[in-house]
Amino acid sequence: MSAFPTYGPDDIAALDEQAAAMLAVFAGRGYTRHEPAILQPAQIFIDRSGEEIRRRTFELSDPSGRELCLRPDLTIPTCQWQVESGRPYPARLCYHGLAFRHRLGGGPTQFYQAGAELLGLEDRATGDVEMMTVAVGALRAAGLEKFEMKIGDLGLFATLVDALDVPAQWRGRLKRHFWRSGYFETLLTRMVTGAASDAERAIDALHGLKPAELRPAIEALLDKEGDAPLGMRTREEIVERLMVQASDGTAPKLDAKVAETVKQVLDVSGPAPTALEQIRTLTKAVAASMEKPLAAMEARLAALAGLGVDPKSVRFVAHFGRNLEYYTGFVFEFWSRDESGPVEIAGGGRYDTLLESLGGPRGATAIGCAIRSERLLAAARRGK
Amino acid sequence: MMADPLTLAIPSKGRLKEQVDAHFAAAGVALKQTAGARGYRATVEGLPGIDVMLLSASEIASALVGGDVHLGVTGEDLIRENAPELDGRVALLKPLGFGFADVVVAVPRAWIDVSTMADLDDACAAFAHRHRRRLRIATKYAQLTRRFFAHAGISDYRIVGSAGATEGAPTAGTAEAIVDITTTGSTLKANGLKVLDDGVILRSQAQLAMSITADWTEAMRGSAGVLLKRLGATLPA
Repeated sequence: MSAFPTYGPDDIAALDEQAAAMLAVFAGRGYTRHEPAILQPAQIFIDRSGEEIRRRTFELSDPSGRELCLRPDLTIPTCQWQVESGRPYPARLCYHGLAFRHRLGGGPTQFYQAGAELLGLEDRATGDVEMMTVAVGALRAAGLEKFEMKIGDLGLFATLVDALDVPAQWRGRLKRHFWRSGYFETLLTRMVTGAASDAERAIDALHGLKPAELRPAIEALLDKEGDAPLGMRTREEIVERLMVQASDGTAPKLDAKVAETVKQVLDVSGPAPTALEQIRTLTKAVAASMEKPLAAMEARLAALAGLGVDPKSVRFVAHFGRNLEYYTGFVFEFWSRDESGPVEIAGGGRYDTLLESLGGPRGATAIGCAIRSERLLAAARRGK
Repeated sequence: MMADPLTLAIPSKGRLKEQVDAHFAAAGVALKQTAGARGYRATVEGLPGIDVMLLSASEIASALVGGDVHLGVTGEDLIRENAPELDGRVALLKPLGFGFADVVVAVPRAWIDVSTMADLDDACAAFAHRHRRRLRIATKYAQLTRRFFAHAGISDYRIVGSAGATEGAPTAGTAEAIVDITTTGSTLKANGLKVLDDGVILRSQAQLAMSITADWTEAMRGSAGVLLKRLGATLPA
C-alpha cells in the first residue's frame, strides 16, 4: 500500500461498513464512542511512550512554538479525556479513527484504528475476559473467521524477577529490559560476571558503614561537589539510590543457575497449555509466587475456549511485551497471513499505570485493544 | 554548453574553515574566489569543472546526505547525525586529522551515584517514577542520542532540542543531562558536568566525504579523481 493512500468508493464503503459492525459490537457491551482530536499536544505522548515511539511520531509546532503531533495512537488521548472529564469509573470507551506513524521501511503513514478501552474495573480477571470477548467479537463481526492469537504476560515475568534473590536495583533493570532481546542477555551476563559494578568509587567509600552512618556519609560526599547543578533530579533521589546500593554490598553477582533459569523461561514459546506447563516446571523453586499468575493465564485460556478459540491454537510467548512501553501485564495480538507472511491485525493488553500517570485515581486499572482497519479488511476479504 | 560541474562543499567560517584552507593549500589545492559571489563560491586553480561552495558545517552534512553536493568536508558527528549508519548515502573518504571532537553523554557531577550508562538507566527509571515525567536530555544530536540510548537499553528519557550552549541546560534547569561535543572536557567541567565512563557516542573529526546519492557523471568522476588524488584519497569504485 502507498505511503499516501487514496481511498476509492469501494474501499470507503467497505471500511465504513466494517467500522459500523465493530462499533456495534463495542456498543453492545456498553462502550460509548469518543473521538479525540487528530492534532494533539506532543507532550503527553513523549512523556508516556518514550523516544522509540517519538521517532515514529509526526511532530510539528504551531506559530507560537507549541509542540504538536499527529496522534500516533488513540489510547493516550482517550484515557486523558476520561481523567480530565472527571467521569466515574469503571468507564467503557471506544473509538474509530485515523492514527499516524512514520514507517521506517515505507508503507502507509496513516491508518484507521478501531479500539476499546476498559478503564478502572477493579477485578482484573473479569476485565481481561471482557476485553478478549470484545476484541474477538469485533474481528468476527468484520468477517474475520480465521486468525492466530499470540499472548503473553509482563506480570508473570515481573513476579519471577521479584522472587529472585538479587539486589533491588537489578530487579528493576531486569523488569525494564526483558523485552529487549539481545540487550537483556548482555545485561544478565554482566550480572553473572559481576561487571555491573556501578558508581563504584562512591559505593566503595560507603562500604562497611553502619546503616546509621550511611546517610551522613553520602551527604558529605554530595557536599564535596559544592553547588554543581542537579537538574530536576533531587539530592534525595541520589541519597536514596546510594543507600540502596550500599546496603546491597559492592559488586554483587547473580547466580549463574538463576540467570540460566531466567533465560529458559524467556525462551518459552508455543501452544499455550504446553508453554505454561514448561514455565511451571522451570520455576519450581519459586512455585509459591508463580502459581497466581500462571493460574490467571489458565483462566484466560479457559475463557478463550468459551469464545470458541482453542487454547492449543493460541501461542504463548514468554518474552512478548509489545514495544509500546506503557503495557504492564496481560498482552495479546491477533494475526492473519497474506502472500508475504504474517500480518498483525489487532493488539492490546493491560496498562495499569497509564491512568495514574495522567492524573487519574491511584491504582486505576486499564485494559484495551486496537484493531487495524485496513489490514482487517484485507484479511477478511482474503478469507472469502 | 559546459557540462554540469562537480560540486565540493567546504566550511564557510570559523576554525574549521581555517584548518581546511591550510590542509588544501598544503596539498597543492588552491581555491580562487568567484567574483561577485561574496565569498560563497570558489573554483580550484588548475582544475576546471569543479564548483566549490562555502556552506556552514551542518549544511554540508545535510547536503552530502541529500545528494545536493558531490564532495564535502565537515565533521563526522554532523554527517552521522544526518545518516547514523551512513545508510549507503555517504562514503567517508579520508579522516583529515583535525576538527577532533567527541560526542558524549554528560551528567551533573553532583550525581555521584551515576558513572555509567547502566546507572543513568536506573536514574532515568527512578526519575520517571518519582516525577511522573521523563528525565530530559538536551542535545542537538537527537538521532545519535536515540540510537546510543536504545543500544544502552534506556527508554525513560526525552530529548529536548538545543540550538546552542547545550552544556548550560542542567544549570538553567531546562534539562537534567546532555549529549554534546567536547574536545578537552573543560567546558563541561566548568558547567559542573562529567562524562559517563561508557558515555562516548562517537569520536569525531573532520572528514573528506562523498555523497553516494548525488548524480555522478563520468566527467565528474574524472574531476573528482584528480582532486582526491592531490588530497591523498581515492574515489570508491
